[in-house]
Amino acid sequence: MQLTAFSKIVATMAVTLWAFLLPAPVLAGLLLLEVLMLFSAKPERSSALALASLLLFAGLMVGLQLLFSDDVVTAFLGGLRMMVMTTSFLCMFATTRIQDITQALVEKFRLPREYAFMLTAALRFIPDFLADSKATLDAQSCRGYSNSGNPIRRCLACLAVVKPLVLRAIVRSETLALSLELKGFGGQAHQTLVLQPLHVADYAFLLLLTLVTAGGAVLRFA
Amino acid sequence: MNEAVVFECFSYAYPKTEPVLNEIEFVVPRGSFTVITGPSGAGKSTICRAMAGIVPNYYGGRSAGRVLVDGEDTAGQRIADLTRFVGLVLDDYESQLVSLTVEEEILFGLYNRGLAPAEALPAMRKALNEVGLTGKEKLRLDELSGGQRQRLAIASVLAYKPDVLVLDEAASALDPEGAESLYRMLDELRRDYNLTVIVVEHELAYVLPYATQMLAVVDGRVAACGALDEAFSALWTKPELRALVPDLWQIKFTMEAYLNRKLGEWRTAAEAAAALQTVLTKGETEEYDQRRTG
Repeated sequence: MQLTAFSKIVATMAVTLWAFLLPAPVLAGLLLLEVLMLFSAKPERSSALALASLLLFAGLMVGLQLLFSDDVVTAFLGGLRMMVMTTSFLCMFATTRIQDITQALVEKFRLPREYAFMLTAALRFIPDFLADSKATLDAQSCRGYSNSGNPIRRCLACLAVVKPLVLRAIVRSETLALSLELKGFGGQAHQTLVLQPLHVADYAFLLLLTLVTAGGAVLRFA
Repeated sequence: MNEAVVFECFSYAYPKTEPVLNEIEFVVPRGSFTVITGPSGAGKSTICRAMAGIVPNYYGGRSAGRVLVDGEDTAGQRIADLTRFVGLVLDDYESQLVSLTVEEEILFGLYNRGLAPAEALPAMRKALNEVGLTGKEKLRLDELSGGQRQRLAIASVLAYKPDVLVLDEAASALDPEGAESLYRMLDELRRDYNLTVIVVEHELAYVLPYATQMLAVVDGRVAACGALDEAFSALWTKPELRALVPDLWQIKFTMEAYLNRKLGEWRTAAEAAAALQTVLTKGETEEYDQRRTG
C-alpha cells in the first residue's frame, strides 16, 4: 500500500530534524538510501542533474567553511547535512504528485487553498513560460537580437527578451485570475475538499519516524 | 421566458479609457446559435465578458444600461454565481486551463462549487464524453493538442451545465478541419440540450451552417443584428461594411442583383451550387457568363 502525501511530508520534516540529531556515519548511510530511493523512483537524467547541482552547492558550502575555519570535520558535516536534507525533498517530489502534496498541505496542515494553489499554478505554467521564452527569443533574434559581447552588453541585450516575456507573463496572470473567478475559486460558497485518509501503512510509518527521531534525540542529548 | 440574454442600451468603458461599447441593444433567444462578428477592437470580447458579468463587476469602469441574463441584471452579481447560467470560454483558452491533468481541470471547477466527489466524477466523465475526450482523463495538459485543449476548456465549462455557452474566438488557433469539427460539436450540444450558443468568429464560413442569428459590431455599436438574411442584407447595403459579409453571401447578393431574384439562404457551398442549378435556366447561365466576361 502506498504512503499518503502527508506521511511523505512528515518524513521530509523528520529527515531535516535527523540531520542535526544523528551521527555522521548514520547520515552518510541515510544519504545513500535517499539516493537509491530517488533513482528507483525516477531513474531519469533530471534526477542526476538535480543531485549534481546539490552536490555543487554542498561543495561550495564546504569550501566556504574551510576558507573561514580550520575545522575540517564541521565543514564536511555541514555539507553532508545539507545533502541529506535537500535530497529528502527530491525524494518526496519524485514519489508524490504535486497535487497530492498541495491537498495534504490544505487538509492536514491547514494551509489556505489560495496559497497551496500557487504550487500547482507554478508547475502548470512552467511549460508555457518556457514556450513563451523560446518564442520571444526567436522573435527578437529575427529582429537582430544577439547575446554576445562582454558581460555588461549581454546583460543589457537580455532586456530585449526579458521585457516582452514579463509583459506576457502579466497578461497570462490576469487571464488566470479571471479564469479562477469563472471557476468559482476562492468564493464564499462551500468548496469540496477531497480527503486523503491515512492507512495502516501510514500509521506504522509515522510511528517508525517518531521512534527514530526519539532515538536520535536520546543519542544526541543523553 | 424565451430570452436567454438581453442587452438593454448597454454602454461600457474600461477604467481610464474611452467607451468601448455604445448603446448595445440585442436579444439572444434560448436555444439559438448566435454569432458575433466585427473588426478587431470592435468590442466583441467585451460583449462576451458583459454576459458573464466580468464587465463591469471584475474590471470596474463606467457602464450604462443593463445586461439581463436569465431575466436578472448582471450588475452587482458575483461572477461565480453567474457562471451557473453562463459559461464563458476566453479567447486565450490556454491560460484558462489552471490544473495539471484533464480530470483535475474539470473537477477543479466542480469542487469549487461544492459538489461532492459522487456527483462531480460522473459530471466530469459526461462533459468529457460530450466533447470527445473520453479516456483522456489522466493525461497531462501538455500531452494534449491545441484542439483537444480547446475542447477541454469547453468541457470544463459544460460540466456545471450552464444554459448559455459563450466562446470568444474559439477557433482562432485551430486548423480549418478543427474549427469545422468544433462548431459541428457545438451545434450538436445545442440541439441535444437546448443550449444557447454564442460565438465570436471572424471566419463566418465556419458557422454559417449552424448560426440562427448574427450580431455585427463596429466601433462598439451594433451595425447589424437579427436572422442571417436580415443581418447580411443590412450589411450589404452599406459599402463600408460589405467586407463583414461572408464570401458565399457576397456571391449570392451579386447574383441576386444580376438575376433580379431572391436566392434563399446559402449555408454551404454545396447548398449554393444546388440552389443555383435549380434556379438558373441554361439560357440564364449563358447570359450571366456573357455579362460576367463582358
